Order: sequence, then C-alpha cells, then structure tokens
Amino acid sequence: MPCWQDHASAIASGFLGDWLQARESPLAMPMQVRHQGRAINTGAPDVPDASGTLVFLIHGLTELESVWSYRDDPDNGYGPELARALGGTSLALRYNTGLPVYRNGELMAEALETLLENWPVPVTNLILIGHSMGGLLIRAACHHGRQSGHQWCRSVGSCVYIGSPHDGSWLARGAHRVADHLAAMPKDYLRVAGAFIDLRSEGIRNLSRGEVTRPDAEEPPLLPGADHYVISGLLTRNRAHPVNTLFGDALVQEPSARGDERSGWVLRDIANFPGTHHIRLAHEPKVARQLKEWLT
Amino acid sequence: MTTETTGSNRRWWFGVADLAGVSLEEAALGLERIHLSIADETFNVLEAIPVTRPVSEPVRLMHHGISRLSYRSVALLGRGLNAAAGFGLQSRP
Repeated sequence: MPCWQDHASAIASGFLGDWLQARESPLAMPMQVRHQGRAINTGAPDVPDASGTLVFLIHGLTELESVWSYRDDPDNGYGPELARALGGTSLALRYNTGLPVYRNGELMAEALETLLENWPVPVTNLILIGHSMGGLLIRAACHHGRQSGHQWCRSVGSCVYIGSPHDGSWLARGAHRVADHLAAMPKDYLRVAGAFIDLRSEGIRNLSRGEVTRPDAEEPPLLPGADHYVISGLLTRNRAHPVNTLFGDALVQEPSARGDERSGWVLRDIANFPGTHHIRLAHEPKVARQLKEWLT
Repeated sequence: MTTETTGSNRRWWFGVADLAGVSLEEAALGLERIHLSIADETFNVLEAIPVTRPVSEPVRLMHHGISRLSYRSVALLGRGLNAAAGFGLQSRP
C-alpha cells in the first residue's frame, strides 16, 4: 500500500479511530511493531540484528513511525542513532491513535510481553521513547503491564516522554470548552458548530486531560525501577516570550510536558528546547544529542 | 500480533467510500440545520414587519420544504454510497 494511504489512514484513525474500529473499517490502523520499515510478528520476530537492548519508539496522535525520521536523512533518527550508540535494536510502534489511551496501553503491553517472550536474546535494557500521545501510552502500558504481572516491565531501563501532555493539551481542552459552550447555545446553527467541534475520537478526548487509565481507575505512579526523562519544546527561542507561556511547543505547554500537576513523580532529568515546535521534537538532532547523553 | 497491514488496496478504497458516505450524509443533515436556523432569523424579522408579515410564513414553508428536499437528497446519496461500500467490504475479504 502506498505511503500516502498509510498517512491518510493514520489521520483518519486519529480523529475517528474508535468509530472506524467499531465499524471494522480498513482505514482503522492496526497495532504493529515495526523494524526497519516493516511490521514484525511479535510471536516470531525475524530481526537479524536482535540484541538485548531495545530502543522502542511510540509516535503521537495522527502520526506514523516516520515522524521519527530526520527530514534530510529519512533512514536515520533517534532509534537508529541510539541503537548504534548502545549496540541495540531499534523498534517502533504503529497504532490507532483514536482509541482510548488506556486501550492502546493495554494492547502495547500485551505486544511487548509477547515480543520479549519470543525475542531471540534476553532483553536487559528496554528503552521506551514516546512523542506526545506516545508518552501517555508508555504510562498506560506500564500500568497495565504491572497490574498483569508482565515480565517486560522488569526490563524497562528508561522512559522518555517527549512533548507529552501529562496535564492535558491546551488545544484539546480549548476545543472541549468551545464545544460545550456552543452546545448550550439557543441557536441551532451554533449547536451544529459545537457538535462538529465535538466530533473527535476517544484518544483526543484523553489528550485533553492527560488520561492514561480507564475512567474509574486511580492514576498510576511512574514505573518504579526505571529512569524517567522529560523533553519539552517551545515555539520561540526566548524562553520568557509570552507565546511560549500561552502555547508551549504549539500544542503542549511546558508545565504539562513536565507533569507539574502529577503527584509523586520523580524525574531523572528534564530538558527544554526553545525554538523547537511540537512535531520537530520527534526528529531534531539537538534532541538526539540529549538522548544520547542521557541513555548511553 | 501478526504482520497484518492496513489491508488490500481495494478494501482500503471501500473504507474511504464508507467514510465518505457517512460524512456526506451527516454533513448534508448538519448543513440543513444550519441553513434552516439561519434562514429562520431572516423570516423572524420579516414576520415582525407589518408589510411582509402576510407572505413571510408561506415563503418560509416553501423555502424550508425545498431546502429539506435538497439536503435530504444529498444525504440519501451518501447513504447509498455507504451501503455500496458496506456491500463491497463484505463481499471482498
């Protein structure tokens, strides 16, 4: 299938993924673990360069694993660079970003359990790197993995959250408020506009509040025994610029990326990149240098 | 987990048709509500003016009738497209 069709499916899945999944639409993106541009079978992974160190990348809303590729060098990115530096193997997750974050977390945890059970060598260092929604997925997967007694949780050495809206995204929160206000208006045309704005997937709704668990569950702590790192971006180079305070990296404000409203979090380190917007955080050489400094 | 991809190209296009059909139907019905409620604002003003009051209500009824017929024809087209896509998805695994 041509690449543009995968991108179209990823965008459709981001906005309507839960609805597409319920209709069994071929546009709904299935979860896949990918290596060097192809999906691998987690039950019998055929990876020639399999090593005990895995760099596992998880993309964000409406994205594909291609978001990690450097724009001037598409075969390179954080995964391959870190894998070379650590003597490890780079893998990437592809998934339906419109599903609830907790559901994708459960699926990711199950996939990791199967993958590590069948990996040709014992995995001693699993590095999870998530961009935007991918960071929330790491937390959801670790929570489900611990609850289910999964062995892969013991292999996790580091978790890196890149531009992840742990306290929610201002844009998603804003859209939610506007839709609520319009829905309460007396004029029908305003209510229709509200319904149109409200037309979004469960995944996007979870982003508005940074939710990683089922609605009735308590918020889980960060995975014990692993190092946790946060990376955030800002739109302008001047950190004190009001645009940065208002919009952060365009979609996620800096305090939300750090999880300032979360309690009991112990982060190993935090890095901020003024002048780097939300999407660029996933393929920025400066960020790669920071990752290598932390993880190698 | 298998190496399943997003499916064959033909199935993918049936999926696009399915989504386009539902979108067309929902968009037509949404636009109908927007059109009629904005038109009501104008007809309410005409209703308040003594000179236009006698013709306001008959024109409103005619306008709304024609508009509903037009939008629901488009919505029906969307539903037809959706049904054809659903048939294609079921018949071609």
